[in-house]
Amino acid sequence: MSDPIELRNVTKNFGDFRAVDDVSFTVPVGTVCGFLGPNGAGKTTCIRMMLDILRPTSGSISILGTPRALDVRERIGYLPEEKGLYKKMTATAVIAYFAMLKGIAPAVAKKTARELLERYGLGDFQNHKCEALSKGMGQKVQVLASIAHDPDLVILDEPFSGLDPVNQGVMEEVIRDIRARGKTVLFSTHVMSHAERICERIIVIAAGRIVFDGSVERAKALLPTIVRVRGTGAEAALAGLTAVTEALPSSDGREGVLELRLREGADPQELLKIAFEQGVALEVFEVVDPNLHEVFVHLVGEKAREAAFR
Amino acid sequence: MMQIYRVAMREYLENVKTKGFWIGILLFPGMVWMLIELPQFLEERGIPTRHVVIIDRSEDLGEIARQRITLLNRKKVLTALQTHISKATAELREQMMEDQEIDTGQLLDQLEQGLEQLSRSDVEINPFSPNQLVKLGDLIPEQMLLNDAQWAQFKKLALSQLPADAPPFTEPDLRFREVPLIDDISLQNSNEEIEKQLKPYLRGDKLYKNGDEEIELFAMVIIPANALDPDQDLRFWSSNLADTDLLDTILAALSEEAREREYSRRGIASDVVAEVASLRVRSVNFDPNKGAGDEKVGIRDKIRQYAPIGFVYMLWVAIFSIAQMLLNNTIEEKSNRIIEVLLSSLSTNQLLMGKVLGVAAVGVTMQLAWIGSLIGILNLKAGPSATWVADLIAAVITPELLLGFVFYFLAGYFFYAFLFAGIGSICNTIKEAQNYMAPLMLLMMVPLATMTFIPSEPNGTIATTLSWIPFWTPFVMMNRMAASPPEFEIYGTALVLLVSVGLVFLVSARIFRIGVLRTGQPPKLLELLGWLKSRTP
Ligand SMILES: Nc1ncnc2c1ncn2[C@@H]1O[C@H](COP(=O)(O)OP(=O)(O)OP(=O)(O)O)[C@@H](O)[C@H]1O
Ligand SMILES: [Mg+2]
Repeated sequence: MSDPIELRNVTKNFGDFRAVDDVSFTVPVGTVCGFLGPNGAGKTTCIRMMLDILRPTSGSISILGTPRALDVRERIGYLPEEKGLYKKMTATAVIAYFAMLKGIAPAVAKKTARELLERYGLGDFQNHKCEALSKGMGQKVQVLASIAHDPDLVILDEPFSGLDPVNQGVMEEVIRDIRARGKTVLFSTHVMSHAERICERIIVIAAGRIVFDGSVERAKALLPTIVRVRGTGAEAALAGLTAVTEALPSSDGREGVLELRLREGADPQELLKIAFEQGVALEVFEVVDPNLHEVFVHLVGEKAREAAFR
Repeated sequence: MMQIYRVAMREYLENVKTKGFWIGILLFPGMVWMLIELPQFLEERGIPTRHVVIIDRSEDLGEIARQRITLLNRKKVLTALQTHISKATAELREQMMEDQEIDTGQLLDQLEQGLEQLSRSDVEINPFSPNQLVKLGDLIPEQMLLNDAQWAQFKKLALSQLPADAPPFTEPDLRFREVPLIDDISLQNSNEEIEKQLKPYLRGDKLYKNGDEEIELFAMVIIPANALDPDQDLRFWSSNLADTDLLDTILAALSEEAREREYSRRGIASDVVAEVASLRVRSVNFDPNKGAGDEKVGIRDKIRQYAPIGFVYMLWVAIFSIAQMLLNNTIEEKSNRIIEVLLSSLSTNQLLMGKVLGVAAVGVTMQLAWIGSLIGILNLKAGPSATWVADLIAAVITPELLLGFVFYFLAGYFFYAFLFAGIGSICNTIKEAQNYMAPLMLLMMVPLATMTFIPSEPNGTIATTLSWIPFWTPFVMMNRMAASPPEFEIYGTALVLLVSVGLVFLVSARIFRIGVLRTGQPPKLLELLGWLKSRTP
């Protein structure tokens, strides 16, 4: 069976402007994939092309094995970036309607809608008109509407934006639940902590080009390991080593702590060993793992600024 | 197909829930009810008696004016009498028509023939007023009405026609009544002075006194000494510019008197003049489109000619009210950003079709409700007039007319629906849409403006030309239906219309496809043309 999402050399121009430039990637079945990138990177454009709402200028896309997403629409769930609901319809009716458009029978759709609202904490709002829901609640309703037909592939464009921390947690739960049923999820976000917690795979795009594609661990490995040390003679013993590229006062502001940036592939244990051999009395020795946030800034920082000033 | 159906279904249900829909449904029968009730209501309440002061500076002309007031008053009684008798004998009349196996249309034909034999082609038949097809006041000679004895006799005779169980007849209020000058104004005063003194009463600032009662003064007429001389004018004072019956009839009578005197001065016998003046050349009208032996044009044909106006109006209201609904919905979906989810579930064409069909169903529901309520009202009112009007409508509405209505409704609706949906898709707010709607509104006003004069020249150049322009084809062709336009034009314009509907659909679908995802300012016209050329959204 082919992968649920396959993009091959996809390019999209808007007039003279190239929003997506030669993008290729695949997402295998059962993966939760984070789609990251600064504002204007081309995430939404890519997602819309996957759903056949926009057509690529060149290149090819295959979704669940077909080039036309509409042919398999009942197996796809989609939450667009700009969220909206019919103001005059009730939460249940909206979810049921979207599910019905995906081919679910009316009675089943209604039942599923009720169950989903109940399960994710909106049971009391079943019969509220959408105009009476808060923005966050409305967004939850829309997410539920996009998965009510139990799709094999779920594509969510910024599902976390506008949610409070508790509901961000609920959203993570929703995504985990989908994965637990063996489905595939791709979502875009600007909040790295979510990606870090729930993705096994991330794709980073900047200015229309893919700048990283791989596991979260591999992404973190892109940044040098940092070791923080304090102790008499630590600087003399360690700063000059070949494994250390840079030694600066610690960015966390602690008095006398030195931050050592290691060369790629260098093992912090080596440092500890050398310090020991040289008889340095270490008061502090911390290995700082880079987080995805820093990786992101490292990967796209310049481009994100450029885009902001374009 | 399922998608289209579901979109249509939602569109339908949601629209049917709106206030606008119910207002639309109720407004129409409400208006019909008013139209039926209002004249009767006015007739029953009647216009209050109008009081007039007559200043007569001549020797004998004041008497002529007074005669006229009597005449108007008696005609009013006559109208009331006729209605009263008509209503009281409605059942009898219907029974009679049934016995003689004649329908409303035939009755009208007979009436017309009767009038022709009487050489009274000046008398008008009002087919929509079964209680007063012709006004008795128009038929009875004025001398007879003015003669007190004859008038009393006539009234007695008429009332004796009433069935025994009929309610008693009460005479309506006088139409006009002459009141004398109040005591503090002397007839000796000059005209100017009297005018000045009466002004506050005529303006309604003060109530006028007639003996003990206080009344509103309607008018004052000053008849000068030599009123019949060409250089002498009657002076007529009144705040009410609408009710000119009194002045008209007085002027007519005085002119008649002037002519009489002139005839006798020149030694011409006035009865000879009257006889000569009554000579009329008459015509029989034929319509080559009608079946052989039946080509004569009767009153029914004339009604038929104008009947489509009702349809055109209904067509217009229906098409634009529901196309407007579509515009609003599209804009709502767009500004609420729902479109994108929809587009992940169906194609733009399916969405467009679904919406248009759903709203069409709303329109059909509305029309059925209208027709239903019309029938309801007629049944409810089940008075003689209701069945009469229903009968008349049935006689006039041919299957072709109905078929035409259905066809032009559907074709016209789809034409404008696609247009409006396209516009809706490029606008984010109703306000933005108004910029595009303004020129369209102008286009839409044309059939309304031409609606009433097309029947008078149904196959003229204007009508023919307008028929070929798809914006107007449904209305203008509907308008012309009764006049049997050439077959070539019927099928030709229908074809052009259908092709245009297809074209509008293609263009709209394309604009819709690009427009619905677009945010920000609506595009300029040039940009739109660019969209049409581009192949992908
Ligand atoms: N319909 C369009 N017409 C013209 N340009 C467009 C259109 N849609 C997107 N763009 C441009 O394409 C680029 C990518 O936009 P896109 O919406 O894909 O970014 P994104 O990665 O989703 O950004 P964000 O994080 O802000 O949502 C932007 O520079 C944007 O201005
Ligand atoms: Mg985006």
